[in-house]
Amino acid sequence: MSALIEVAGLRKVFRTHRGPVEAVAGIDFRVEAGEFVGYAGPNGAGKSTTVKMMSGILLPSGGRVEVCGLVPYRERKRLARRMGVVFGQRTQLWWDLPLQESFELVGHLYRVPAADRRARLRRLEEVLALGPLLAVPVRSLSLGQRMRAELAAAVLPAPQVLFLDEPTIGLDVEAKASVRDFLRELNRAEGTTVILTTHDLDDITRLCSRLIIIDHGRLIYDGTVERLRGVYGTTRVLVVDLAEDEPVELPGAVPVRAEGRRRWFEFARDEVSAAELIARLLAGYEVADLTLEEPDIEDIVRRIYRGESPP
Amino acid sequence: MAERPGVYLRLAAAGLRAHARRPAYLAVRTAAAAVLVVVEVAGVALLLDRFGSVGGWRPAEVLLLFGLAFAAQGLALVAGNSLEADKVSELVRRGTFDQVLTRPASPLGWVVASYVDVRFLGRAAAGAGAVVWAADRAGVDWTPGRAGLAALAVACAAAVVFGILMAAAGATFVTVQGSEAVNVLVYGGLYLSSYPMQIYGSALRFLFLWVVPVGLAIYVPALGVLGRQGPPGLPGWLVWLTAPVAAAFLAAGGLAWRTGVRHYVGTGS
Repeated sequence: MSALIEVAGLRKVFRTHRGPVEAVAGIDFRVEAGEFVGYAGPNGAGKSTTVKMMSGILLPSGGRVEVCGLVPYRERKRLARRMGVVFGQRTQLWWDLPLQESFELVGHLYRVPAADRRARLRRLEEVLALGPLLAVPVRSLSLGQRMRAELAAAVLPAPQVLFLDEPTIGLDVEAKASVRDFLRELNRAEGTTVILTTHDLDDITRLCSRLIIIDHGRLIYDGTVERLRGVYGTTRVLVVDLAEDEPVELPGAVPVRAEGRRRWFEFARDEVSAAELIARLLAGYEVADLTLEEPDIEDIVRRIYRGESPP
Repeated sequence: MAERPGVYLRLAAAGLRAHARRPAYLAVRTAAAAVLVVVEVAGVALLLDRFGSVGGWRPAEVLLLFGLAFAAQGLALVAGNSLEADKVSELVRRGTFDQVLTRPASPLGWVVASYVDVRFLGRAAAGAGAVVWAADRAGVDWTPGRAGLAALAVACAAAVVFGILMAAAGATFVTVQGSEAVNVLVYGGLYLSSYPMQIYGSALRFLFLWVVPVGLAIYVPALGVLGRQGPPGLPGWLVWLTAPVAAAFLAAGGLAWRTGVRHYVGTGS
């Protein structure tokens, strides 16, 4: 079976007044139907350029891209029927009209048969708690409400692939959770392939089976979140609350931070075990409390962005 | 627009319903668009009355040209005001056009239908009113043929203005910045075409007859409405060319739009 998304040697060069800039410098990946892929990278890494090329908004300078078996820029409209898009900062809804009308327009536009549309809408309204909002003009919705509405509109035509750009940006904890629950369920129940572009690594760790990181237009990581932790996350941090404020020497660990009586020690997990380190510590000092911190995915990714190679 | 036209009608209707949610605002803006025309026509009327005639045309006859031009411009802007250069560059800068491209629809159809602006019907109606008023003062004896010619003039000039707007929008995808040059054509060209063609030198006359054929669309049918002979070089049978030339210009505008969109897709914003 061929992949749902195939990207091979994809390049995009922008001509600027300061000469050509290679925003995407040859990237390759395949996404199978039903995958939930996080697409991350620092600002200007080429994320949105890639997504634009996958969704038919932008013509590649070189290489190949196919989505749902279609060449996006050449078969833009056909692909548009099979693709959902939510760009977090902008609305796909009709701003001045009651939400209900946006759903009706989307239904007609994507030729969703009327019976399907009603059934699907009823379910989406229930899952996303949109019922009370249907009569409200989109402009009056809160950001969280609007984002739920955007998702409903994007998936109403039952797209094969969903491109999301920062769908949880600016949302409070509860709104974030409901968006994530919805996406997880959509991916599980309908097998919708999701490409999630985000800076929010929490989104990625909670949702994505796979993470692709690009920087300077090149693919620098493609694999599971777990493997990322394994490859890069070899250091752990021991946080110690001392009984008294005193200098501490702890062989095998590097002091990285101190705040009052609290100290942070970083150590490599393959050089020294946590048990051994704690034994050494307790042998020499009086300790009120201690905790062990696993590598933070955010930290790992930051280090990757900074160009650190895996230890 | 290969799709079912129903989609675009629905889009336009949605835009109208959005406008209609603020009926007072809509009414005031529509009235303002009409009043603007009345003021302009009155101003020209006052001015012309001091001169008596322009290129052998009586003031009322010139005002008939003005009315036709305003009616055409109003109609073209109902559909095409979203294609004005500064509005297109706004669509591009805000990323709205990217979203349009993710829709299963023609980008032109989408933009035109989504931003239909009925306020400009105020301008069109006032222009039509000016035509009736000026025709009365000029002593035009309305026959079905003459009414048909007036309608032809409005329709063709509207098509030409819409063509200019499409071409301008296409150019805006390349320059990103709105271009003032377009306003010169949309407003200036139409304004100049509101005077009898014979007062212009051959270069301007050629420009507005055959390059940007607003003059051809308004002036030549107006000769028939007024029962006048054209000046040498502008025979009456030219009226048969009005519709084909306007259609060709419209098609050229569409081509320019497509070229602009292709450029946009090639380079991004």
